Amino acid sequence: MYGTLEADRVAVLVLALGAGSVVLLVCGLAAPSPPAVVGSFVGVAASWSVSAWTRGSGAPGGTILAAVGIFVAAELAYWSLEQVSVVDEPELLARRAAGLAIRAAAALALVAFALAALDLRTGGGLLLEAVGAAAAVALLALVLLLARAGHENPER
Amino acid sequence: MSRYATPKLGAYVLLTALGLLGALIFARPELALIALPFAVALAVGLSHARQPDVRVHLELDRERVLEEDEVALELELDARDSASRLELLVEIPRGLELVDGRNPVALRLERGEERRLDLRLLCRRWGAYRLGDIHLRARDAAGLLAWEQTLDRAAPLRVYPRPEQLRELVTPRETQLFTGNRVSRQKGEGLEFADLRPFAAGDRIRRINWRASARRGDFWVNEFHAERNADVILFLDSFADARRGGTGTLDQAIRAAASVSERYLVDKDRVGLVNFGGVLNWLRPGTGMVQRYRIVDALLNTEITLSYAWKEIDVLPRGTLPPKALVLALTPLLDDRTVSALLDLRARGFDLVVIEVSPLPFAEPPPGRSGELAFRLWKLRREGRRSEYERAGAQVVEWHDGTPLTAILEGVSASRRHARVRV
Repeated sequence: MYGTLEADRVAVLVLALGAGSVVLLVCGLAAPSPPAVVGSFVGVAASWSVSAWTRGSGAPGGTILAAVGIFVAAELAYWSLEQVSVVDEPELLARRAAGLAIRAAAALALVAFALAALDLRTGGGLLLEAVGAAAAVALLALVLLLARAGHENPER
Repeated sequence: MSRYATPKLGAYVLLTALGLLGALIFARPELALIALPFAVALAVGLSHARQPDVRVHLELDRERVLEEDEVALELELDARDSASRLELLVEIPRGLELVDGRNPVALRLERGEERRLDLRLLCRRWGAYRLGDIHLRARDAAGLLAWEQTLDRAAPLRVYPRPEQLRELVTPRETQLFTGNRVSRQKGEGLEFADLRPFAAGDRIRRINWRASARRGDFWVNEFHAERNADVILFLDSFADARRGGTGTLDQAIRAAASVSERYLVDKDRVGLVNFGGVLNWLRPGTGMVQRYRIVDALLNTEITLSYAWKEIDVLPRGTLPPKALVLALTPLLDDRTVSALLDLRARGFDLVVIEVSPLPFAEPPPGRSGELAFRLWKLRREGRRSEYERAGAQVVEWHDGTPLTAILEGVSASRRHARVRV
């Protein structure tokens, strides 16, 4: 819907792509059908990309939100597909919800960092640049953590 | 444990690849940015994924229970390595029902953590069950890889049919040589008065009937009926079963056989079993608690096995059918092999009582006039079979589902008493 509102041309095409993807996602979750879920996310990404294309070159404003939104929606969709077979214990549920929040925050930082690092036009301002800088620091910390974890478990 | 990729892994790889390719082909940076979180999630998730190591121990609180009893199943999990999400499913056979506890369950186990899961199962139907097939499925924290394993922790559970209260049993016409609770037609040591006879050398003084002696002017002594046991053979027809929903003629027959055998054994009779069906089983007559368990265990393993082989009573080993035994047949009279074998037994002089476990409550007439006609013909044919048994001197009684077994047995006993008076 956001992509349709932002689109300068072919708004109907963007809307059709987005609505079709949402319908596919609902069907994929109800069925449940993992291929349909993948298709729906491809459709949403395509819809956003067409909307961005109508606004010229470079990543438009809202790309961070779109990227994080699609990622979080994908995480939630696959979580709900898992829940079809076995329901989580309450403790596990809380842990997974926390993990999902962390992943969403990391995705936000990562995309912001990438935008800042690649110097793409986003229509953002000082806040976005600050997020990008913080993401760069976080990414470095993550790389260090991964390296340490790999050193502690040499058998893997 | 066997490892496989989850649909999520495939989807993330596809989304990453499409996003990056789309970005390159259409020169659109936002597609690469959309693909970026998926790519990083893949890289981090796969680098941290490792196979969990969980030991599972299963224990039942009892191995032998009665129908409608509850049994506790305890699962002990010992995580040698952490499992971020472990799904555990204990396979519960049909006939058992979970009444308390969660199955399947998804849980998280830290390294070195021990966890106990309790399940309570209600034993709905008799049978020899084998619990212990446990399915484990573990996923990594990101849900990209999964491991599956099926453990076999064999835990046998025998659910015995709940015996029905029986007020009366079918009394065998003939008794055997061993001491029991049945009044024999032969005279000997016992409590039931039989006759008077003149005193003979060696008779005990306490046996003298003083009134009779005073009237007749000579010593007369009392004679008694000996108390003996009897041989009872339970003849179970397992060639065919009429079934609807959770119950059928074989269930009824097995419950009846378990109840009747228990009562006869309590009365010190020798009880044997002939399971006449696709798979032939037999138990020689015996007494006591051990025989009771043998019979019930044999009954639990009874099942319908399809067979076209013609079987006769000759296939049974000697000693399985002792002379003068009462043969109590439990049959739906659906298979000609059983019908013929029972007539053969009667022809050999066995005291035969046929309890016909009626298949009618489990059968419905096919639709249409011809269906109804066929159904009526089938019922007529069954009546013809009953008449055949009666002509051969065997007693047949029809037992419908829902009628207490004790009522059927009382009816048989009453009619046998009546027949004896007439003779």
